[in-house]
Amino acid sequence: MAKYILKRILQAIPLLLIISIICFTLIQLAPYNAIDAMTTPKMPQETVELIKAKYGFDKPIYMQYFLWLKGILSGHFGYSIVTHESISNDLIARIPATIVLVLPAYIISIVISIILGLTAGANKNKMVDKIIDGFCSIGIAIPSFWFAMIMIFIFGYKFAILPILGMNTIGVDGSFTDFLLHFIMPCSVLIIAFLPELIRYVRSSTISQITEGYVMVQTAFGSSKREILFKHVSKNVLLPIITKAGMALPMLVTGAMITETVFGWPGVGPYFINAVRGLDYPVIMAILILSSSLVIIGNLLSDIIYCLIDPRIKEME
Amino acid sequence: MNFKKLSKVLVGVTAAIFLLSGCGAAKNTASNGTGTKAKPDTFIYGIGGDPGNSVNVITTSDRFGLMEIKALYSPLYMYNADKIVYFLAENMTQSADKLTYTAKLRKDVKWSDGAKFTADDVVFTYNEMLKEKNAGWAYSQLIFNGKPVKLEKVDDYTVNFILPEVSAPGIELLANIFIMPKHIYEGETNFENSEKNAKPVGTGPYKLAEYKAGQYVKMVKNDDYFLGAPKINNVIFRVIPDANTAKLSLQKGEINALVVQSSDLKDLIKGDNLTPYTYDEGRIAYMVLNSNSSKLKDTNVRQAIFYALNRTDLINAAFGSEEYAKKAYTFLPNENKFHTDNVEKYEFNQSKAKELLAKAGVSGLKLKLGYSGSDVPSQKEAAIIEQNLKAVGIDVELAGGESAAISQQMKNEKSNYDMFLNGYIMGIDPDTFNSLFISNSQYNYSHYKDKEIDDLFNAGRVETDKGKRVEIYNKIQNKLQGNAYFYPILENKRIVVMSSNLTGVKEASLVPVYTFEDMSKLYFK
Repeated sequence: MAKYILKRILQAIPLLLIISIICFTLIQLAPYNAIDAMTTPKMPQETVELIKAKYGFDKPIYMQYFLWLKGILSGHFGYSIVTHESISNDLIARIPATIVLVLPAYIISIVISIILGLTAGANKNKMVDKIIDGFCSIGIAIPSFWFAMIMIFIFGYKFAILPILGMNTIGVDGSFTDFLLHFIMPCSVLIIAFLPELIRYVRSSTISQITEGYVMVQTAFGSSKREILFKHVSKNVLLPIITKAGMALPMLVTGAMITETVFGWPGVGPYFINAVRGLDYPVIMAILILSSSLVIIGNLLSDIIYCLIDPRIKEME
Repeated sequence: MNFKKLSKVLVGVTAAIFLLSGCGAAKNTASNGTGTKAKPDTFIYGIGGDPGNSVNVITTSDRFGLMEIKALYSPLYMYNADKIVYFLAENMTQSADKLTYTAKLRKDVKWSDGAKFTADDVVFTYNEMLKEKNAGWAYSQLIFNGKPVKLEKVDDYTVNFILPEVSAPGIELLANIFIMPKHIYEGETNFENSEKNAKPVGTGPYKLAEYKAGQYVKMVKNDDYFLGAPKINNVIFRVIPDANTAKLSLQKGEINALVVQSSDLKDLIKGDNLTPYTYDEGRIAYMVLNSNSSKLKDTNVRQAIFYALNRTDLINAAFGSEEYAKKAYTFLPNENKFHTDNVEKYEFNQSKAKELLAKAGVSGLKLKLGYSGSDVPSQKEAAIIEQNLKAVGIDVELAGGESAAISQQMKNEKSNYDMFLNGYIMGIDPDTFNSLFISNSQYNYSHYKDKEIDDLFNAGRVETDKGKRVEIYNKIQNKLQGNAYFYPILENKRIVVMSSNLTGVKEASLVPVYTFEDMSKLYFK
């Protein structure tokens, strides 16, 4: 097992290198760079050249890449070109905020989607199924920023029961209830965004499981429908959910960009969007490398968990 | 693991969370109710971007960073719209040969760590600004024709600025530089990323209390502020990336001030709890024609385009009414001392436009207009321009794009755009506008090289006789209008909406970039 994990990790390294090269090239293809995005006619040409030289923009592209790579390998992400902040510090300040928002939202979504998905799958083409499926269609069609604005308007402004901005009321940092109040709206928006896809996933695998032989056997033994569904079918349906959850790992960094921006949630989203707008490439690269590493790690984790819990796969090895 | 049990537990937990938060909500509204009755002691200003934790007087040059700098530090004096407001300096006098400025400093100023402010701090700050490797924002404006300004400490409270050559805008070029403490920053080689920036020691009305990345900058009042202790205890710059959310939180009262577009006012100013304030930033919105476009070589065609445009329509579409934007007829803002109205204005005249096009023998002209697609006023201006030009038989291709990409195209002499929409905020002295029009400047977006304009700007810079300067800049304004590459459209105001219980805005004085000239004067009714 350890050997397998090590092998997988080693395989990930060239993959990460390739990803970083592609990202870097794509950023370089943009018709301007971070310094151009900052200059105003008030800045004389010499100042602009001075700043460009300071950040290595006067060097050829491959040199810029190696300079960046050198930084990453020696363990620091470097500094933002636009705000001059240390990127690691910025990320350390922002990632927890994103995790605290996305993780509960995703777990709640999974729980709800398993319940609704199983119910819909078992009652295929019946009224319940149509309602749940209809909800999914609407959910997929609703843009999350729009839904977020509606929530803010109704609960934040009209009824004024929930605060609109950020993660805490300024000054009451430690209060858990204060945090929860700020948390409800963005979390609900995310749940609505995550749910439809997950429900459909559970529903379709339920439908395929229900035609399996073991279900018929259980029915023949006289088990109730409910028992079959939650005791036997659910176990099989849950397996692919592990893969789904593993692949969702990068969402802990980049999973709520738009929602975060709308609610002024101090997570990675607004930070990343700003960086993209200003072509602040060290920041863009840092976040892309982070989230692509998480994709690889997530896949690895779900493979490992798979092996651990599914005896059939373990035997196959 | 038994799934049924697990799911029961999870459902239970979720229900508990929602119940808990329900109770919390009830409590919160109650406390809000009492909170609004008490006199607030915190002023919250919503801003669109994060100023960061590394603001320093040398390299910080973005709007939000400068707003924070203005609260934490003080300059010798501020030079805005023909008025000098003194802060750390008591006065600034010019020698008879116009080469030396002498600043007399206040003697009652203390840094927020208790140290005394002296001439050493001033000399230190300007000298660091003059070091090329620091890449300070004011570096090049302190260099006159290749030679730097020299600083001389006369005594603890007197500093001489010795210019290498006479410069008419000298007093403006030395202004608005904030002074940093020598005893803190001495020996610093990297101002941009210095750890000292996170614990600023300043002479401004406020002191930094807390910075939360992506959330807010909280500042508390500086009781030792040399112009009197501020009246509001805390000032918070709250980062709100989404403009719509920001507007709702202003309406709700979660924030006290926000910069908005004129089109938002209708929604915002319904009751009497919010008050709009407008002020001039001297921003000119303009359309510039690319002189390298083969379609625009003929003066008649260019003039025809200008005559076909209707400034009233453009203003109404982009800013609602002339209350929020004035018509602009030259490159200088209307309030500028050197502004003249005695130029070719190209007032809307469709028949003249058609006549000129016929004279040039041009028909079926198709032009490509570049503008920032994310800027709402620009979008609307572009749409009007398309309509206006259509009426005289010119087709316009609207090519909106990311603003940085568009400005790259503007600088590019070989770009395939025919026209661009943009705007600028330059300085107060007319010489600060030269980079937009002189031959070899990358900001001369028309790429039209006019030797006469260059000479006039060069003459204006060193001319010390006021009357002759006015004459020179009148000539430049006339010449530029005559060349017909640059079409000034309007001069728009900036609008800040603030809670109506906030007063002292007039005394605090609204100024470009920093918003408030002296935040210590604000108070709640």
